[in-house]
Order: sequence, then C-alpha cells, then structure tokens
Amino acid sequence: MLAYPISLIGILLLSCLLQQFIPAITAWYDARILILPLVVLCGSSTVSAAGMLALTFLGGFLWDAQNLIISELGDRQIYHTASDSLQFGYSIILYALMGFLMQGIRPLFQQGKWYLSVTFAGVAIFLYLFIEHLMRSFMTAEFSLKGGTLEQIGATTLLTTMLSPLVFWILFKVANLCGHPIDYRD
Amino acid sequence: MKPFNFLALLLFIAGLGWVLTLSEGTVRQIQKTYYLAISPIISKGGKTEQFAKEFLNEVEHSADLKKKLEQSNRERDRFKLIASQVRHLEDENNELRAALNFKKQTEFDVIPAKVIRKQPLQWGKTIEIDRGTENGFGVSLCVLAANGGLVGRLHQPGDQVSSILLVTDEGSQVSARVEDTSEVGLVTGRRTNYGEAPKLRLRYLSKNASIRKGMKVYTDGRGKLFPADIPIGTIEDFESGPVHGEAEITPSVDFSNLKTVFVITNQPHD
Repeated sequence: MLAYPISLIGILLLSCLLQQFIPAITAWYDARILILPLVVLCGSSTVSAAGMLALTFLGGFLWDAQNLIISELGDRQIYHTASDSLQFGYSIILYALMGFLMQGIRPLFQQGKWYLSVTFAGVAIFLYLFIEHLMRSFMTAEFSLKGGTLEQIGATTLLTTMLSPLVFWILFKVANLCGHPIDYRD
Repeated sequence: MKPFNFLALLLFIAGLGWVLTLSEGTVRQIQKTYYLAISPIISKGGKTEQFAKEFLNEVEHSADLKKKLEQSNRERDRFKLIASQVRHLEDENNELRAALNFKKQTEFDVIPAKVIRKQPLQWGKTIEIDRGTENGFGVSLCVLAANGGLVGRLHQPGDQVSSILLVTDEGSQVSARVEDTSEVGLVTGRRTNYGEAPKLRLRYLSKNASIRKGMKVYTDGRGKLFPADIPIGTIEDFESGPVHGEAEITPSVDFSNLKTVFVITNQPHD
C-alpha cells in the first residue's frame, strides 16, 4: 500500500538531484527542463487528493530550498526594506494549484488518452511559470512581458512537456510494479 | 469530500501556514542544510553544464568550419585555427595577469576562486565557485571581480563549493553612494528580459538629486555587509519620483565573462 508513495518520494528526491545536472540552453531563451515540477505534476495525477497534497508540499518545499534566495540583511537602519524575494513556501501554493488541475485529468488515464495528459502537463507548467512571473512582477512593481519573457516561458514549457511522456511512463511502470491502482473515484 | 481527504487538506493548510511564517533565520538554516547536503554533486553538475556548453560550441564551430572549408583551402584554415588558439591563450594570459595584478594591488586580503558553474534559475542566475568553508569562507563575505568591481557576496558556503548572490539579483541589496555627491541609497538587482545586459537600480535617492549619466557608484561601507569604495557601476539614467529618486546603473562587472572572482577575507566593518 505504501510502496508507491514511498517510490514516488524517492523519484521526487532523485529529480531534485537530477535538476542540478540539467543546464539551461542559453542559446534558446535560457530554456531548461524543470524536472522536479514535472515529477510533482505528473505524480499528482497518479495519486489520491491527499497524496497530491503531500507531494506538492514536499516538492514545493524542496524547490524553494533549492532555488529561492533569502539574503542575509545587514544593519537594519541601513537595509530598512526587505528584499524583493518571494516568501519561502510560495511554490507549495503554486504546485498545489497545478496539482488540483492535474487531479482533474485523472479519468483520462483510465481511458488511455495519454496525449491529453501530456498536453495538460504542459498547460500546468506554463500556468505555473506565468503565475510565478506575475508574482515576481508584483513584488518588484515592474511588469513586463516584452523582449522574450513569454518566449522564455514557452521554450521552458515546451522542453519540459517533451519529457512528460517519459515521466508518465516511468510513474506508470512503478505504479504497476508496486500494485498501485490509479483510481480517480476519491 | 471524503473525511480522509478533508483531514489531509487541513494538515496541508497547517503545514503551509507553518512554512509561510518561518523566520528568515530558519529559512536560511534550512537552505544551508540543503546546500551542504547537495554541494558534493554541485561540482559534478558544473562539469555537466561545462560539457553541454562545449558540445553546443562544438556544434556551432563545426558549422562555421564547414562554411570556411567551402571558401578556402585546408592550409589556410589550419593557420586560422592556430591563430585562434593563440588568441585564446593570449586572452587567458591577460585574464590571469589581471587576476594576479589585482591580488597584488588590492588593499584587501583576497582568495581567488574559479567560477565552476552558472546556476540556471528560471528568473535569474547565481554562480558557484570552487572554494568553501574549508578555505575559511563564511556567509556574506564580499566578492570582487578582477577589475575590482563588485560581484556580490557569498550566499551559501559549502565545504568545497560556495554559491554567490550576485549584485544583479533582485534579492540583493547594497548600500551605495554616488561619486562627488552626498547622495546615498540602496542598489538592488533589476530583472531584465532575455538577451538584455543586467541592470541595477539605485533607490532612495533624494528626489531632486543632481545626478548625471556617467557618474560612478561605489559602496559606502554602511550596514556591515560591504567594505567602502568598491565600484558598483555607472549611472545610466535618473528618475525623480514623488518621494524618492531612482537611478538605473550599468554594473562595472561583465557577468557574462566572469571566470575568476576574489573573496575578501578581511572584511572591515564600520
């Protein structure tokens, strides 16, 4: 019963390490494969709602621990304003929102429409990056979508989405091996 | 909704509340623990990034070479290649000489470090260097480039690698002054669009400050983070707001070609 959730956490931790080895393609809008968010999103559609919440919590926590820059401030009389960083934990909220979206497509799995699941994974990645961009723009009071921002989001989405069939395939193999039924009636 | 799912949702909300209210110190401690755990593989990640870059360069280079072969003979290409290698060695030599001169000339005790990785974040960039706590590094040590310009400060020191928070990052803040004026403010990074050179913002200036394009900006030494008089950049533009003025700055460091940096180990404080 617990074999699949434990394996999923193992895959998540593995993707966390793997992310360190994936470089950005500087020649193409600094696009990169977001393997950790992808595992969280694809994994979200293979577990129950409770499992999805646990997965997005862990994934968001690890992502922020890895990527969010919380700088140490000096003397508060001089550095009187907080830096323009987002709050630690914001990724958990974003992942959970995207996780709910992925939960909605679980019936598609049982109908064998994998291409729709892959498309939705791409949509979820795009929304995740776009909302993150909006949140960062709000923090710095500077909003801009010109000069390649949308292209950058699009290129990263495309690269990440291209990998999603493989992630789905691995998750289904692991689910089969663990005897975990992908049931959406909860 | 099933009772179990409802309970899970409550636990999720409670957990989220806990995470969102963590103090900055606790978050830094979590990140430090995480960084120490993954730092052994970061250097390997840097090698992968280097390999990928070299591969892409090789692909680009091969295409160029093919065109050249069509246009000229083999012997001429060979000489071109030799000339290019000599240029590369010359550049490297100049860079190392500049680094050596900087180490000799600077008033600070500095330890040189090689940039091993430019960490690709979605909305920014940090860099990793090949020195860490084993070299006596601690959090917030100031980092300079070979031209003496401000690069940033140490953010996460691991055992043998360290992460640097660049001055161009939105999360960075540097107390600064404008040359030949009494104006002081805070320099922060500014997010730029893809392909644009990094820019900085100098905030909290007087709204009627007499600041002109081309004026130099230096650290002012206040706030216990950076020593005074380190070049940060040059004023590009100044805008007067309802309360404060704000200037746009071009950094004095070329971040795209950063290969060697210097970490100040005897950081004086005010």
